[in-house]
Amino acid sequence: MNPAMTVVVLALIWAAITGTFSGLNLLLGAAIGIVAVLLLRKNLGPPRRFRQLRNAASLAALFLYELAASAVRVAIVVLTPDMKSALKPAIIAFPLSVKSDAEITLLANLITLTPGTLSVDVSEDRSLLYVHALNFGTREGLIADIAGGFEAKVREVYS
Amino acid sequence: MSPADALSLATLIALVMLGLALLISVVRIIIGPTLGDRVLALDLMTVIAMGFVGTIAIRTGLMLYLDIAIALALLGFLATVAFARYILSRAAMRKGDAP
Amino acid sequence: MIAAIAIYAGCILLLLGALFSLIAAIGVVRLPDLYTRMHAASKAGAVGGGLVLLAVALLCFDVGVGLRAIIGFVFLLLTTPVSAHLLARASYRTTDQLQMKMVVDELKTKGGPNSAA
Repeated sequence: MNPAMTVVVLALIWAAITGTFSGLNLLLGAAIGIVAVLLLRKNLGPPRRFRQLRNAASLAALFLYELAASAVRVAIVVLTPDMKSALKPAIIAFPLSVKSDAEITLLANLITLTPGTLSVDVSEDRSLLYVHALNFGTREGLIADIAGGFEAKVREVYS
Repeated sequence: MSPADALSLATLIALVMLGLALLISVVRIIIGPTLGDRVLALDLMTVIAMGFVGTIAIRTGLMLYLDIAIALALLGFLATVAFARYILSRAAMRKGDAP
Repeated sequence: MIAAIAIYAGCILLLLGALFSLIAAIGVVRLPDLYTRMHAASKAGAVGGGLVLLAVALLCFDVGVGLRAIIGFVFLLLTTPVSAHLLARASYRTTDQLQMKMVVDELKTKGGPNSAA
């Protein structure tokens, strides 16, 4: 999205949140949007193309499905009578193949809201993401799971 | 059961469950054992309280309550971020004191 | 007719949301250490609160209010993992790791977390 589009979208979101779509309110939203874009212009990436938007939508769909699955799985673990045997907590170092700040942030947030995993820390050279697993099976299985699922999708969105 | 009856029953049950959830999370805030546990329970409590206020918005039909719910979610997020930074800076200060 | 279906669906969403919130609270009390508790609070908690907001969006029959509720839902999903991650990171550097019962801890074996805050 270019900056002008961002301002328009921010103004529309502002109007939606405040609940009135009057001209004055839209102008106020646009003014706040311009301030936000000016403050953040260094962090805004290059313009998005349509294909990336479609990839982002498919990522969002996958995410909503995984979120529902993860909530159900946590609920099952919490409600098991002998919880100690259902738990095998571990912290695993996941080798990152995505490099930019935005990609790592997105991936870490996605990992936190998916079944059995929680991102804890990123190593200083940005090559490792430390992931806490609720029910640890094998190291290779967990890494392959993330690399083949979310990381591939995140890379598509930013490519 | 008519829709209005179902709605009033569902909101009542949801309020009872959310109230129970609030009480249970208070247990974790009291027993701790670390500051991190308490902050986590407080964060969960603000999310549950947000759900509680949202349920009240449905039950009374006053949608002003929704604004309170969203503001509560924002406040909970900011409070947790501030607490996390406080935990970090406290640890840094302790390390500085130790010889 | 459609309004009735929307109301019944909203009731189901509301009850599911309340149930997940309750499970999150039970999990935070029952689970053995901070990180496993964090799983319960960040996933079940976010889904619970989010479902209640979606129920509000479905039951208010007003476009402006519904949009606001959906934006609140998105906001909740964006902020919950950030706060969970920050708290996990801060706690890892401060708490004694002996009390955490973990099968493998690669964060410790590989020289510990980076010291920069």
